[in-house]
Amino acid sequence: MISQSLPKELLDFLRVLEFWDHILIGLAKTMWLYVWALLFGFFLGLLLALLRQYGGRILSRIATGYVEIVRGTPLLVQLLFIYFLPFSINSFLEAQGLPFIPIGRWSFYVTSELFGRTMTMVFLDHITLMGILTLGLNSAAYQAEYFRGAVMSISSGQLEAAQSIGMSRRSGILHIVLPQALRRVIPAWSNEAAYLPKYTVVVFYIGLTELFAQAHYIISQTFLTLSVYIVVSLIFLVIITLISKSLDILYKRTAIPGL
Amino acid sequence: MDKNVLNVVNVWKAYDELEVLKGISFELAKREVKVIFGPSGSGKSTLLRCINMLTPPDKGEIYLSGQNLTAPGVDLNAMRAKIGMVFQHFNLFSHLKAIDNVSVGLRRVKGFKKEEARAKALDALHQVKMTEWAEHYPAQLSGGQQQRVGIARALAMKPDLILFDEPTSALDPELIGEVLQVMLDLAKAGTTMVVVTHEMGFARAVASEMIFIDQGVVVERGTAEHFFVSPESERVKHFLRQINILYGHHEELLKEINED
Amino acid sequence: MSNTPNIQTIFFYILTKGLFATLALTALGLLIGFAIGLLLALMRVYGPTEIGWFASGYEKLFRGIPVLVLIFIFSFGIPGLFSYLEPLERPIAGVILALGLRSGAYQSQIFRGAILSVNPGQMEAARAIGMNGFQSFRHIVFPQAIRLAVPSWSNEYAVVIKDSSFAYGVGIIEMTRVAFDIAANFPLLMPLSMAIVAIIYLIFTYPVTKLFGERQTKKLKDFGMGGG
Repeated sequence: MISQSLPKELLDFLRVLEFWDHILIGLAKTMWLYVWALLFGFFLGLLLALLRQYGGRILSRIATGYVEIVRGTPLLVQLLFIYFLPFSINSFLEAQGLPFIPIGRWSFYVTSELFGRTMTMVFLDHITLMGILTLGLNSAAYQAEYFRGAVMSISSGQLEAAQSIGMSRRSGILHIVLPQALRRVIPAWSNEAAYLPKYTVVVFYIGLTELFAQAHYIISQTFLTLSVYIVVSLIFLVIITLISKSLDILYKRTAIPGL
Repeated sequence: MDKNVLNVVNVWKAYDELEVLKGISFELAKREVKVIFGPSGSGKSTLLRCINMLTPPDKGEIYLSGQNLTAPGVDLNAMRAKIGMVFQHFNLFSHLKAIDNVSVGLRRVKGFKKEEARAKALDALHQVKMTEWAEHYPAQLSGGQQQRVGIARALAMKPDLILFDEPTSALDPELIGEVLQVMLDLAKAGTTMVVVTHEMGFARAVASEMIFIDQGVVVERGTAEHFFVSPESERVKHFLRQINILYGHHEELLKEINED
Repeated sequence: MSNTPNIQTIFFYILTKGLFATLALTALGLLIGFAIGLLLALMRVYGPTEIGWFASGYEKLFRGIPVLVLIFIFSFGIPGLFSYLEPLERPIAGVILALGLRSGAYQSQIFRGAILSVNPGQMEAARAIGMNGFQSFRHIVFPQAIRLAVPSWSNEYAVVIKDSSFAYGVGIIEMTRVAFDIAANFPLLMPLSMAIVAIIYLIFTYPVTKLFGERQTKKLKDFGMGGG
């Protein structure tokens, strides 16, 4: 048996990899959370940045307040807050004798078989929704800062020129300022986009079975704590590097001379 | 009904505590070229921005072909489409090619279809002699070329008048000539223009009236002849003396251009 | 506690039972991070290229692994680590180590940027009056670099104090854990408890970042230095 001549550490890793189906599902879940949180954060973040820059006094203050609060408090606290909010609301409604929100019993999932292993991927259920919501709301605040910086760096003359040919302020912001800001923000935004997968692990604390949670399952089966953690760490490093490099290439491909 | 393209009536404008414009009035008839000049900080740029209501005046009115722009409820966007503006720092849309810079207003404001807008844009670019640079981005163009595209962008909208805010002040000396040439051609072709500039040679050549503004008030006005032969106010004389030192050499350049 | 906690009770409990741990974890984590970060920055700026690669590799490693994973690795993952401590104390050391190693990676970038931002002429002038490399750095470059690093560093402080909340799940009684435990029997109050602890975190982050933080235009240059 070749396994006898291999070093113990390598054997451990191979044993961990026997659980490849769990790793795969965990990774899929992590990426699923990541992509939706990033998208959510993108649109909300953009909106917040535009409100801060161009909204009136009230809207601008609200947007600023949101960004400062979310950036000044821990992600975990936000997660627990949002996660328990429906329960809290339900307790309250129940006490008043009012009908309450049905939580937790629904699920959209897909089961498939691959190389002899059955895997189930849950696309959306209550905790997944809470996870995506929290991560999205959180990411939005950080993305808003990047967008705001980019928008502010576009000279005011651009909007003036747009208005001078009769474009409305709104049209000028959308068609002249925004395209330039979005191109300018790519380097900084790539930073956020590349590192966001790291933050998805927080949902482990509310019971979502993403990669980190799957890691604990494998640990419970093999007791190879360190090896499992190392495998998970490596996976994160690889993902982050891949995303980072891809965005770099994207940036170079869409470069416009002078922007 | 007022035949004037533009009526600026008693315009006042202050920024915080500082009063920049103190009761400026003038009229502009069709095909007129009005040159506004004066020391820095005298409010000239602010005046232009009041005219197209980018920064509305605190007091006073602006009439465009009889229509009061300062009245409430006016569709300013539609009005601005009838006033062209050329900026000191060009303000070309950096993410668009030259041709798109010129056509974007035609498409988004006037609603022309892509091909039609493009054709009209090419016409405008032709007027400023920039057709071969149509597919270039602003960053690939020299200052003079960028400014010419800026002029084309204003021209394409077929405005009632064009405002020029120190169009050559940010240009390297050797590039000024090409822009002045375009402006001269426009003036001779009958374009209604308000030009804020130090280029006295240009003023001498085509200005129908020159207005000297200092510290927010009109100090003196008259034809080009008037200013260069017998200016009245001491401030004007002082100013002319100063810029002659700086800009005197442009006289030669303009003579050359005019003789072409 | 048989009575339902109210706002004041929650506030009081979080502060008295959790604040100390949070601040201690943060302070120690930042301290370790400072030492590591400064060392790595010096290595990258003044050291030979190979050492620079090592430093760069360290940065990539500890920026790419989630803090939570690091916390678990050092609290439970390495048998024999902190074996001289009581089992219950080990997570504390684990968290501090995790926070410190991670912060070191980020502070390394901060200091490197700050040192490089100091006008090279300063170093030349120091040499010209006879100071050697170490002296020039210690008396001339370093003080200026520190001042330049303040905005980014205040941001890093905020990050670490927020990250300390991840210790919630490894048995350390820091603020978030207290906030959770108080309301654990009263789900109705959980969002309230979380909101209160959020306010406390905000009190410790907002004034600092506003006072010492970057001015807007600076943000544009610091791509890659903030957040993450």
